[in-house]
Amino acid sequence: MSDNKILFNSGSLEKFSEEIGKLTNNEESRLKLGPDNADSGLAKLVLTLVELIRKLVEKQAMRRVDGGSLTEDEIERLGETLMKLELKMEELKKHFNLSDRDLNINLGPLGNLM
Amino acid sequence: MEKMIYSILSVSKNSEKLNALLVGMKGISGTDLKAISFDGITAVVSDVKRADLITDRSNATEYAAVIENLAQQFTVLPMRYGSIMESAELINKMLERNYHEFQQNLQKVENKNEFGLKIFCDSEKLKSELRIKSEADTQTPEKPATKIKNSVYKDYVDKKLKEHRLEELMLTYVDSVIAKITGYLDRLNTINKFKKMATDTNIINAVFLLDKERKDALIHVTEDLKNQYPALNFVLTGPWPPYNFVEIAIK
Repeated sequence: MSDNKILFNSGSLEKFSEEIGKLTNNEESRLKLGPDNADSGLAKLVLTLVELIRKLVEKQAMRRVDGGSLTEDEIERLGETLMKLELKMEELKKHFNLSDRDLNINLGPLGNLM
Repeated sequence: MEKMIYSILSVSKNSEKLNALLVGMKGISGTDLKAISFDGITAVVSDVKRADLITDRSNATEYAAVIENLAQQFTVLPMRYGSIMESAELINKMLERNYHEFQQNLQKVENKNEFGLKIFCDSEKLKSELRIKSEADTQTPEKPATKIKNSVYKDYVDKKLKEHRLEELMLTYVDSVIAKITGYLDRLNTINKFKKMATDTNIINAVFLLDKERKDALIHVTEDLKNQYPALNFVLTGPWPPYNFVEIAIK
């Protein structure tokens, strides 16, 4: 972006440029599927969807906990379930050599998946 | 020969002005630009081979530069990069088929420009301030989820609950900033679109469509907003062709 397009900037240009880099650098979020990497490409796609669903479940669960509609026992069991799910995801990410950033697909104009 | 479409223009009586402008411009990879018209609306195109077209920063920049130059003199509807049709005849028919929608959109963006506003924050600092303020407002420290002691699962839920509450606080805060911006922009008669939390630090991405002559007023509004929120960084950019305000499903 040329400087003359910036009409007002209350921070530094370097900082702005760094932030824009974060928004536009989607190399890691690309799904690279080919004959040589079908396994890892598919794993990335599947784990991204699993992670999205896990986070949605976690969010909904926290809403219920915050709303006070769960008993102490239910919260305890919920904690156990969510913790085990997170640990399992960590295990799978490690197995397929994927990081959190790998699982955040860039959906173009819609922004990042997570 | 296949044609790449850069944008649709309202030309009507200015076809000579457009032709003169196109002579001095080049499309992607130095190709010549041509106009294909139907009853006062025109598609600006260049020859392209679909198989040879590469999507990279250089081509995207050249493509955007063509649209930018056209937008300085005409009302334009920018097309998405990679909009290709098989021939000039097909483009002419497409203009005819979508004539009504093109006219409607051209009227909507006539004499208007798009401006972008990105708002950044120091995420950790802001979250910490919001947490302190929330506790001060309720005059009680954050309540844990359960009273069970010595449970790793309970601690886990408490940790997640804290994160969840903080996210909710952030969203409420972002909504309040958006409400303030919208209030300020009411007097400029803008059309606005907002996206929240693109990243941890980029809390708001907004685009506005407003009259070209109101650019300075928008800059003043942004300065006022910055004074209201000294902890946030505001970056206002533009004028841009109306990339985010053209709504056509081409038939």
